[in-house]
Amino acid sequence: MTGCCNRLAWLLCAAMAMAPAAGGELRGSWQGYWLARSAAQAGPLAQAHALLPAIEAAPASSGVTLAQLQGSAAWGGLQWHADVVAQAERPEGGPGHTQATVMEGYAAAALGGWQWSLGRKVVGWDVGYGFRPNDVVQQEVRRPLVAVPLQGRPVLVAERYTQDAAWSLVAVNPTAEGSATGAREPALAARWYQRLGALDAYAFVRWGRRTGGSLGAAFAWVASDAVELHGSLRHMARFDTWEDASAAPGALALASPWRAATGGAAQQALLGGTWTNAQQVSVLLEAWYDGTAPSAGQWRQWAQRGEALQRMATAGAPPAAVAGNLAWQAQAFNAFASLRRQNLLLRSSWTAGAWEPALDMLYHPEDGGRLLTASLAWKGDRWRWEGGLRASAGPASAVLRQLPVQRQGYVQTGWSF
Amino acid sequence: MSLALGKHPARLLGLVAAALAWPAVAQNVDAMLRDADRYRTGADNLQVDTLVQSYKTDGSLDKERRYTVFAQQDRRTLVLMQSAAEKGQKVLMLGDDFWLLMPSSQRPMRITPMQKLLGDASTGDIATMRWSGDYTATLVGEEPCQPDEARACYRLALQAARKGVTYQRVELWLARQRHEPVRAQLYVQSDKLAKTAHFELDASRGQVDAMVLIDQLGQQRQTRIRYLQRKERTVPEEWLNPMFLARSPVLE
Repeated sequence: MTGCCNRLAWLLCAAMAMAPAAGGELRGSWQGYWLARSAAQAGPLAQAHALLPAIEAAPASSGVTLAQLQGSAAWGGLQWHADVVAQAERPEGGPGHTQATVMEGYAAAALGGWQWSLGRKVVGWDVGYGFRPNDVVQQEVRRPLVAVPLQGRPVLVAERYTQDAAWSLVAVNPTAEGSATGAREPALAARWYQRLGALDAYAFVRWGRRTGGSLGAAFAWVASDAVELHGSLRHMARFDTWEDASAAPGALALASPWRAATGGAAQQALLGGTWTNAQQVSVLLEAWYDGTAPSAGQWRQWAQRGEALQRMATAGAPPAAVAGNLAWQAQAFNAFASLRRQNLLLRSSWTAGAWEPALDMLYHPEDGGRLLTASLAWKGDRWRWEGGLRASAGPASAVLRQLPVQRQGYVQTGWSF
Repeated sequence: MSLALGKHPARLLGLVAAALAWPAVAQNVDAMLRDADRYRTGADNLQVDTLVQSYKTDGSLDKERRYTVFAQQDRRTLVLMQSAAEKGQKVLMLGDDFWLLMPSSQRPMRITPMQKLLGDASTGDIATMRWSGDYTATLVGEEPCQPDEARACYRLALQAARKGVTYQRVELWLARQRHEPVRAQLYVQSDKLAKTAHFELDASRGQVDAMVLIDQLGQQRQTRIRYLQRKERTVPEEWLNPMFLARSPVLE
């Protein structure tokens, strides 16, 4: 599969090189970054590593370089667009690897008053910054420490525009297997947009082959010269999730206890706003509820199981078995879009010429956990430099304090051509 | 003063004539503003290819940016960023409402008028091609076109008539005969002088060729906005729909 993707990517690169000759456009960028991760001293993976050093305490720091080439051209009565990324990654102490990936590749045309697109395409919806309940097609991972290009989803899109309204109908992952989960699930989605002066109103509907229907709504309102408010709401009949199928907190499992599962009805909601002044200082505040995240009770059970596993280690249970079970505990961190149901995000940034410092804090009121991020970016004519740090804080029992990596930093540079 | 005028009867006569003509000039201030706009636009619907050059405080070139601006009637403007570092970014302005699209997300975002004030030359500087309709003008009087120049200009005080304009107040100097813009002082909402502007005219085409902005809030950095090409162009209505921003640039 990877080999197939690589060949297709290189083929598209060759085709894109001809785009300018065909009256199209070609542009590209290069970026490199170093992401340094410091293994935490606490949490299940750190405990597993202490028992069995062969289990890595945290993902390794790594250096990445990637080149992105994007081309567009009109040919055969259609508009063609391709976006390819060639990437090399070298983790610290491990072998490096390279790959080429088609990020976008689609054909578009206007037919019967509708705009049609077919292929792999980024289709981003919803109004929030830290959380987007109605981003039901792309399902973009929010707030990554290092921003990297998005890979689109396989879609057939039909869009219709009037002066103040727009309709979008999307079939996403139409060729995927019915058992595919999460963002890979075959689904139909629609968005309606209406401009009402200073207010943008949206309605969303999605029908997943397994998860069934969901309905959503959102708004963005410019309340004054300096203030923008936005909100988003979604109700879903079912959702993809993971559940811990451990027989009992005190029992050692022979395989990962995490099982893909389908959750029942759930809601997600977000309310936020930005304030920006003439000196280009900007403050964003968002609060959201994610009903698909584990409940406080589920996290309590998770913590109890962790404590039980530690007791077993001191009671003489086989260290390798206990270490394996502790490591599986850490899989919870990658299984959910939000770790806690209640979230508060505060972000402040300042644009001062070419410089942009930013600070943000994600706060979990349920356990007092905090994720703090500081970054500094510089934008030149073609070069861009950026660096930042992210750290967990709060009570030792907070979920964010159990993460395998609680301190990480990055340096990134990019050049456009 | 009277002694000096007595020595120069021609100057005295000129002042008397100007005083007599003053009410007519004051009444035509809106027409003067429309005349000034014509030097910057030339048509109701147009496409303008723009080059923005930002200079460091030592006068050396810092960076260059290219934009394509579709300025359409009824205060509707679409700005496409064309430089390598910004390619794919788009800003749409419909009256007092603004949207931004960053190519990394393909998601049009509502922005406030304050968020439009980005960079040495804000999007508002690049996209705003007209004063009439956005500002209420009053004639302040006649003043030297430049502080060290004998030529007299009309000085107009423009006060924002809409909430979404980039500058709350503009002091504008227009040439007396044809009302072409000569210079301006641009004030933000706090009534601080944010920038001064000087207009360079291409006399053969009767159009403003460039606008030079000097930052007054920071380090007096200079930004030159050159209008490389203007042509009359009416874009399809759907281009002015905020959700259409996410369409691929090649469709344009």
